[in-house]
Amino acid sequence: MTMTTVEPQRDSGRQAVSRVGEIAAAVATPQPITIPVLRLERASDGRLLAHRDGKSTAVRVVRCFPWTDPTRYASLRDEKDNEVALVKEARDLDPESRRVFEGALAEAGFVLEVIRIHSMEDLYEVRQWSVETKQGERLFQTKLDEWPRELASGGFVIRDVCGDLYFIAEPERMDAKSRRILWALAE
Amino acid sequence: MKPESSFEKMLGQPLKLPEEVRARIERELVEPVVFYALADLDASMRLTRTWVAMSAKTVALAEESLAPVRVFKREQIKAVVRAPGLSCTTLTLQAAPGEPALAVLRYTHRQRRAFENLQFLIEQQLKNLELAPSDPDQNYADAVTHPVKEAQASVSANKLAVIWRLTSYLKPYRRRLALGMFGAFLMSLIALIPPYLTGRLMDEVLRPFEAGSLTQEAALHLGWILVAGVAAVLVVREFFVWLRLRMLATLGELVAGDIRRELYEHLQTLSLSYFSSKRTGSLISRVTSDTDRLWEFLAFGIVEVILAAVTLLGLGVVLVCLDWRLGLMMALPVPVLFTAIYLHGESMKELFLRTWRKWSAVGDVLSDTIPGIKVVKAFNQEEQEKQRFGTRSDAFTNECNNIHASWTLFWPILMLCIHLLLVGVWFFGMPRVLSGGVEGVAPLSAGTFVSFLLYAGMFFYPIEVVGQVARMMNRAVSSAHRIFEVLDAKPDIVDIPQAVRLEPLKGRVTFENVTFSYDGLRPVLKGVNFEVREGEMIGLAGPSGAGKTTVTNLIARFNDATGGQILIDGVPLKNLDSGHYRRQVGMVLQDPHLFHGTVLENIRYGCPGATLDQVMEASRAANAHDFVCKLPYGYETMVGERGHTLSGGERQRVSIARALLTDPRILILDEATSSVDTETERKIQEALDRLVKGRTVFAIAHRLSTLKRANRIFVVEDGRIAEQGTHAELLEKEDGIYRKLHRMQQELHEMYAV
Repeated sequence: MTMTTVEPQRDSGRQAVSRVGEIAAAVATPQPITIPVLRLERASDGRLLAHRDGKSTAVRVVRCFPWTDPTRYASLRDEKDNEVALVKEARDLDPESRRVFEGALAEAGFVLEVIRIHSMEDLYEVRQWSVETKQGERLFQTKLDEWPRELASGGFVIRDVCGDLYFIAEPERMDAKSRRILWALAE
Repeated sequence: MKPESSFEKMLGQPLKLPEEVRARIERELVEPVVFYALADLDASMRLTRTWVAMSAKTVALAEESLAPVRVFKREQIKAVVRAPGLSCTTLTLQAAPGEPALAVLRYTHRQRRAFENLQFLIEQQLKNLELAPSDPDQNYADAVTHPVKEAQASVSANKLAVIWRLTSYLKPYRRRLALGMFGAFLMSLIALIPPYLTGRLMDEVLRPFEAGSLTQEAALHLGWILVAGVAAVLVVREFFVWLRLRMLATLGELVAGDIRRELYEHLQTLSLSYFSSKRTGSLISRVTSDTDRLWEFLAFGIVEVILAAVTLLGLGVVLVCLDWRLGLMMALPVPVLFTAIYLHGESMKELFLRTWRKWSAVGDVLSDTIPGIKVVKAFNQEEQEKQRFGTRSDAFTNECNNIHASWTLFWPILMLCIHLLLVGVWFFGMPRVLSGGVEGVAPLSAGTFVSFLLYAGMFFYPIEVVGQVARMMNRAVSSAHRIFEVLDAKPDIVDIPQAVRLEPLKGRVTFENVTFSYDGLRPVLKGVNFEVREGEMIGLAGPSGAGKTTVTNLIARFNDATGGQILIDGVPLKNLDSGHYRRQVGMVLQDPHLFHGTVLENIRYGCPGATLDQVMEASRAANAHDFVCKLPYGYETMVGERGHTLSGGERQRVSIARALLTDPRILILDEATSSVDTETERKIQEALDRLVKGRTVFAIAHRLSTLKRANRIFVVEDGRIAEQGTHAELLEKEDGIYRKLHRMQQELHEMYAV
């Protein structure tokens, strides 16, 4: 198992400069494999805690590659947005930590998943959508010049004017009407 | 303005706490609701509606189902933790450490602003700073509709209302419009005469002559009269064509010009906050291409539609009058043809969307690589970029060809159908012409038949026009909508009637308990008090986001204070004539903008009447004269966009010369010496030293060394003046903010100094 961690930055600029040099050297030299130095726990107050070297830090999970590699490379960040640890693979964690981690990962990576497009209409400056998602019915708007983005891993993602994301996993399996609507905007 | 119910329909959710939910909540809270938000995801990440409402002392969570309302005291909340995700944010309201969370709220980004406001209120409460939001319904509605309103114009989406408003711009040109319409109508009516005369020629000259009932002389006489009539009608018709084109083409230009001018003038009245919320390109295209589209619609679109409708109606009447059987045969299929055109238009929409998308993709490559050509070449990616562009260009070409394939198939088929109608006319008409009045067959003269055929041939053009009009109208209405959005925007700064002009303006600036907020909830300035004497130089220091630029924006009256007041020479700033006042306020910004024009025009920008001597004097004082003389055409070298490129330091010095020339009483310097080398900084600093003499100056600088000359320094932190004093006094303060900032900068300087 390989786990890469990044220490939080120190206050002093001088120390930061020397630390950059250390990190560069560490990257160049392979690190010995360690078993597990990181443990994750969901506290009773709802926080996600990362335990490491006797220290506990409340963290949140950020997917580094939410579309290309959504289940790997997750950055655990503290309340000041400093990286506490980088989890490359969930299987690198102990079973309980993995369970907690995967739950948090799912929450962090949550998007609405579209299974049917009822209608799509161009209004002034926005496009009005009516869709059925796995999570329920939804109406939303996208800008006229903003198009669904095709993902290298397959499927499309649509971003609405509020920043919410709508994922279409398998467009070819949708009904004819949905495919027709999508055809105009994607592919 | 678009009614809120339209937004409710668009979003598919209420914009206000439903009354029955409010009643249930207030029964539990025993107090009125002062703030609320909607958590639209449940624990299993399904869409739901859980209202989170706060009163002065309590928080309530209520689902829209009849599940019991959960209630807890606000004082139980010890911390708020937000964990944003891709499309779900989790907000945890934490109790004392070790205790279970009071509430875990999950919501999509649509609810983000409302929950950010909620979090802010709770955090203020945790700092013992209570805030009293004024209108919870308005706060929630504004928070949820904000992104949609930003994306879409708030004018009425009613197409007819937009067209009606557009036609109101025709009022100043009633005479021209009347003449143009008159010409258009007569042109259409007169076009109906030649086929009739042709029929008369057949029936009353050619056939009688052939039958021998008319002599050659009489036939020629009558024939020449009819031919002369046709010729005269054609000449008169072309006169009316000219009248229509001349009046309406110029009318379109005049109206488009009026709108363009009104739009630009209105833009000049709008506040800075409007411009920061819109893309520059979008505003520019409204003034240029959107008004241009309106010209086309006003000059031709409206009239063509009316004429086409009138022509079709007239033709229908004439045909039915000539022969009701054949007339109905021509007229009845017309609605079917229109329906076919409409359906074809609908089916083309998807093709147009795809084409637009592919064209955007082509444009994306260009807007990436042309400005970034240096990077392309540095990384030797020319071939890859050619391939990328080629792929997208080919995709666009394919889509265009799909469109051409569609319309080039549809229109010939449509025309074939119309021509088949004509064939039908021949099929049913010819036997009647040849029957010669046989019993049981309705007779039809050859002349009438010929007239009929000529009239039927006039059907094509109006049908084609009506077919095109839907698209033209949609585009024009869309452009009008975008234009009216700007025209309906209200400026934030409005002068009072009889605004005061201070002559002379001395430059004494007083802030009395000034507060300011951009969004009406989060104060950026919190009770700022100071008095600055005329001629004093004030340095503004502090961390980013502290409120320094907000102070200077308020002094320049780009915004009005939301609380307290600002006085200039003892007169409330809100009572001053803003245009007259701003002419006496000069600004030198970090990134000075030079307009497209000569150096001379740029220096003279605030003072167009300045003489060349005055310009040169200002230029020398700004240390700009020497480099200007080295430019290809001296002061008459074109600079700005598409002009000669000046370095950052050179632009800064032209900007200082511009400020010097206006001789402002109050001067605002915003990071004026950042981003330049040492030698240039020295020159700029010298120029600034000359500029600030005898004026009231507010200078913002992150590099504190540049503020040493200030009479006093205000250290702004978290919207307040945390410290004030001279540079030396502030450095002596143990644990002072200024001292800490100064020390950090020194350390950084020492670390990276060569």
